[in-house]
Amino acid sequence: MADPPAATATATAQRWFQDAILAPEPPEAAEAAEAADPPGPRAPTGPHAPTGPTGPPRARPVEAVLAPGARLSPGQCLEVYRRGYRLRLLEAMRGLHPALRALLGEELFDDFALEYLDSRPSRSYTLFQLDARFAEFLADHRPDRDRPAAGREAWIDLVIDLARYERAFAEVYDGPGTEGLPVRSAAPPGPGDTVRPAPSLRLLTLSAPVHTYAAAVRRGRPTEDPVPRPVVLALHRRDYVVTATELSGPAHRLLTALVDGRTVRAAAAEADLNEATTRHLLHRWTADGWVLADPLPPTPDLRRQTP
Amino acid sequence: MTGTDTAVDVPGSAGLGLGLGLRFPHLAEVLETWPEVDWFEIISENFMDSGGYPRHALDRIAERYPIVMHGVSLSIGSTDPLDRDYLARLRRLADATGARWVSDHICWTGAAGINTHDLLPVPFTEESLAHLVRRVRTVQDVLERPLVLENPSTYAAFAGASMPEWEFVARLAEESGCGLLLDVNNVYVSAVNHGFDPERYLRALPAGRVVQIHLAGHTHLGTHVIDTHDRPVAEPVWELYALALRLTGRPTPTLLEWDDRIPPLPELLAELGKARRHLPAPAAVPASHG
Repeated sequence: MADPPAATATATAQRWFQDAILAPEPPEAAEAAEAADPPGPRAPTGPHAPTGPTGPPRARPVEAVLAPGARLSPGQCLEVYRRGYRLRLLEAMRGLHPALRALLGEELFDDFALEYLDSRPSRSYTLFQLDARFAEFLADHRPDRDRPAAGREAWIDLVIDLARYERAFAEVYDGPGTEGLPVRSAAPPGPGDTVRPAPSLRLLTLSAPVHTYAAAVRRGRPTEDPVPRPVVLALHRRDYVVTATELSGPAHRLLTALVDGRTVRAAAAEADLNEATTRHLLHRWTADGWVLADPLPPTPDLRRQTP
Repeated sequence: MTGTDTAVDVPGSAGLGLGLGLRFPHLAEVLETWPEVDWFEIISENFMDSGGYPRHALDRIAERYPIVMHGVSLSIGSTDPLDRDYLARLRRLADATGARWVSDHICWTGAAGINTHDLLPVPFTEESLAHLVRRVRTVQDVLERPLVLENPSTYAAFAGASMPEWEFVARLAEESGCGLLLDVNNVYVSAVNHGFDPERYLRALPAGRVVQIHLAGHTHLGTHVIDTHDRPVAEPVWELYALALRLTGRPTPTLLEWDDRIPPLPELLAELGKARRHLPAPAAVPASHG
C-alpha cells in the first residue's frame, strides 16, 4: 500500500516550524546576529541550512506563520517549543549518562550534549537511541584529534570511554538476553567447535576503569576520577542483572577470537593459551552464560546470525 | 459532545475502569504488590525494542491486567512517509501484550527524517485534515485494529486555520473512523494558552467516539500553562472531567498520567482514586485482576 501524497502547504509549514525549533538561538537572536554579520555568498551548511522551499527560519517572519496566543506573541509561542525541545532532549541525555555528567560537571556535560544534539538531531522513534552516536561525536570533536594517538590527552580518552561504557551498559541492560531460553547443560564446547556468544555479551577496550566509577555514581557514592590504565572488559547480563568483569589480555584475545567465529582450537592458538587454561576459561564462561552451550557448525551463513 | 455520531467499536473498552500509566520506577513494586488498579497504559516506544527487565516485567503484568498502548512517535500528522518498520513493531507489541487498543496523538513529531520527540501542532486546515484522515486509515489497516488519537496540549497555532481545533478533532474522528482519547488536562491547557472555552470544546466532540480519557497535572506560568505531568490534577480539570463523563453518558475508561517527579505508587493510586467520585457505579467495583 503506497503512502498518500504529502500535503504541500502542511509540508512547508512543518519544515519551517521544525527548522525554527531546532535552531540553537531564537529567531530574534538569529536576526540580530545576521544584522551584525550579514550573510555573504558562502554556501549554507549544517543541520539547519535550508533544505526545502521554505528556506531557513528567518526567511519568513514568525508572525506570518503562527497566530498569537492568548497572552503570548507568535514568537513567544514558538519559543515555548524551541526551549522545550532542547530541555527535553537534554534531560534525556542526562538520564542516559549520569556518570559522565558527574565526571564533567553539569555545565560542561550540558554543553557537550547540546552541541551533540545540534549536530546530530534524533532520527529514531525512541529516545533510547538518542545517545547512539554521542561517543563517536566526542571522538570526532576532541581538540587533540590531529595529534598521533600516543600524544593525545588521557582525560579526553577517559571522557570518550565513559560515554561508550554507559551506552554499552544500557544496550546490555535492555537488549536481547538469554533469560527466556530453556536451561541447558553447561557443557563447554570441544576444540573443534565454534561458540555462540550470549546476545547480551559486549567486549570493551578502555583507557581506564570507568566501570567502577560508573557503578559508584549509580550507587550515589562519592568517588575519585578513574586513574588511566588499560582495561579490557566483558559486559554481560544474566537474570536481568548486568555485570562488568575485567579480563586478562590472553582471556580477552581468546574471547574476541571466539566471538569472531574461530574454533576453540584456533582461538586458543591466537591467544597463545594452552589447552588446560582454555578449557578452564570456557568452562567458566559457559557456566556464567557468556557463551551458549549449543555450538554452531562453523559455516559462514550461520556465523552471521550470531549477535 | 454531539450525540448523533456513530460510536467507535473498540472491543474491551466498556467498563474498563480506572487505569494508571505504567512507569519504570514502579515496575518492581507492581510485580511484588499487584496493586488494586483496573488496567495499565504503557508508553509503546519504551517497550517496543526491550529485551531486558522492562519487557520481562511488562509480559508478567500483562498476564494479570488489561494493557493499553499509548505511543508518542507515530507522527500521524507528519508529511514524511509513515514509518513501516515502526508500525510493524507497534503491531507486534500490541499482539504480544493483548493490548485493548493502540493510541497516539493528533500531532507530528518531525519532518525530513528528524524526530524532535515533541508533540507538535498540526495546522487546522482542510488539507491537513485530509492528510491525517488518509494516514489514519492506512495505520488502521496495518494494525488491523482501531487507532485512538489524543488531543495534545499546544502552545502555538498556525495562522490561516480554517476551523477551530474541536471541529478538526471531531471531523478527523468521523471521517477516518478513529477513536478519541480525550485528554481533559490538555483541553484545559490549550484553552488557557489559546483563549478558547474548554466546555465548548468538549461539547463539540462526538461522544460515541471517546474511547478513553486522560487526566494529568499541569504548571501555570502566569502567561501560559505547560502540560508537565508532575503534580496532582488541578480542580478545573476535575470539573472538565465531570462534564466529559456526563457528555459521554458512560463510565469512560480513565487514566492518570504522571511522568516527572514521579511519586510513590500509593500516592498515584490515591490521586487516581479521586476519579471514582465522578464515575457512575458500574466502574466503581473492585479491580477485576487476580
